[in-house]
Amino acid sequence: MTTAIEVTGLRQSYGAFEAVRGVSFEVGRGELFALLGTNGAGKTTTMEVLAGYAKASAGQVRVLGLDPIAERRRLRPKVSIMVQEAGFLGDLTVAETVGLWRGMCLDAGREPIKADPLELVQLKPKAKTRVKQLSGGQRRRLDLALAVLSRPEVLFLDEPTTGMDPEARQVTWEIIRDVREQGATVLLTTHYLEEAERLADRLAIMHEGVIHVHGTVDEVVATTGDRIRFRLPYDGVDLPVLEGERPELRERTATYKVEKGTHAAMRRLLDWADGHGLTLERLEVRPGTLDDVFLRVAKESAR
Amino acid sequence: MKTDVLHAVRLARTDLKLLGRNFTALFNAVILPLLFGAMFSLTAPDATFVLTGLPGVMLAFAVFLNLVNTFTARREELVLKRLRGGQGSALAIFGGAGLAAFAVFAFQVVLLAIWIDRTGGGLPANIPVMLGGAVLGVAVFSLLAAAFSGITPTAESVQVAVLPPLMVMIFASPLVVPLSAMPDALAVFARMVPATPVIEIMRAGYTGELTSGLWLYVGILGVWLIIGAALAKWLFRWDPRHS
Repeated sequence: MTTAIEVTGLRQSYGAFEAVRGVSFEVGRGELFALLGTNGAGKTTTMEVLAGYAKASAGQVRVLGLDPIAERRRLRPKVSIMVQEAGFLGDLTVAETVGLWRGMCLDAGREPIKADPLELVQLKPKAKTRVKQLSGGQRRRLDLALAVLSRPEVLFLDEPTTGMDPEARQVTWEIIRDVREQGATVLLTTHYLEEAERLADRLAIMHEGVIHVHGTVDEVVATTGDRIRFRLPYDGVDLPVLEGERPELRERTATYKVEKGTHAAMRRLLDWADGHGLTLERLEVRPGTLDDVFLRVAKESAR
Repeated sequence: MKTDVLHAVRLARTDLKLLGRNFTALFNAVILPLLFGAMFSLTAPDATFVLTGLPGVMLAFAVFLNLVNTFTARREELVLKRLRGGQGSALAIFGGAGLAAFAVFAFQVVLLAIWIDRTGGGLPANIPVMLGGAVLGVAVFSLLAAAFSGITPTAESVQVAVLPPLMVMIFASPLVVPLSAMPDALAVFARMVPATPVIEIMRAGYTGELTSGLWLYVGILGVWLIIGAALAKWLFRWDPRHS
């Protein structure tokens, strides 16, 4: 797979504050890569550098082999961005806004999508409404329509579903999948874990300007091990150590995070329960989730 | 380059559409300069002299004030950010705004010519010279507007922020009083005000009284073009001032 996006040792500072601290990753052509993280993790900053809004303080970024700042003129027709916050010409109608963007695409020699973008994002009934009269969620949908209109080779989506209702979110996910199926490379930032889990081929979790873990969803989840959870019949039980792990006990509910050897840990737990004449209520073993990895990263960074 | 021109034309058409939908902007850009013209020409002894200098005031309002307002409001509302992330280059975004301002300015000059003709002053004698002055003037004032927007914090503060330069453009230029009738020190200063060369070139184009001295004014505008471009590059901001 050829590389569409290449980030090497990216650092971005604003005065004394370093928003991104040495980030490196690659995104292959046709791949959907998600940058996950809490607010202030550095996701938007990374994306804005890639989209050519800001020059990197240090490190190197390439999009389709081009420098987003120095080779902006060559790169611009091939990429599109849906930024987290951007204004519209409020006195234009929704249809006029799409018409302006479509015209700009044609002027640049790009063939816009054949489908009606307003149909795609379910804004057709609002075609004659002035943009300033749209709700926040409707603006996000218009934003998405403009981003996919030019059939970009690389699509940057910065928190695309923030402010959308669940139905609009599903529609957005469908559109993103379609764009990807047509061969576009997508870089998505989000703090919705479900969004990354459903859409991303690979993802990276960022926290405080650093990528802590990256890989496919399965690879990332595998870094956190399984969870064994049960409820004790009464307080004051001295629980065993399983595979070197001590339990987390909250209101008589014990949770073990088992990195390796879940099978052996379960056997030992059941033996221990039999030995003590205890019945473990609501006993469950579940694999780790992206939530678990995300929380672990945040906790580790806070230490 | 061809794409930039096409984008600029498309953005200019959009700007004109938006101007028609915003009464305050329309009043400031189109009606206010004509009101100024009426006020000055009614009180001045030589109405035709004042009216042929009116393009200087029109530049101040239709181009400078209008563009400072446009750039500042669009920056604060993150519209510039959206445009910059789209297909248009910076050149096309500036060019589009400048082109729309030029169209408004040209429309006003046509109205002005009809007005002067109706009041006995005749029609323009040399339209290419007037057009040359207009193009140079719009280019200089567009660049100055871009620079000025960078130091103007909000769209609400534009009217106050641009007042000093507007006053200089109106009162320290040969709009009502010819340079030859000004005290020497004021005349030297007035020659350097960017509105002056535009007024002198367009007035000469209107009356047909062309002299070799006009090249001096072309030169002054050339210097202002360089200064305007440098100031715009230094001061113009794409992102809100608070970000």
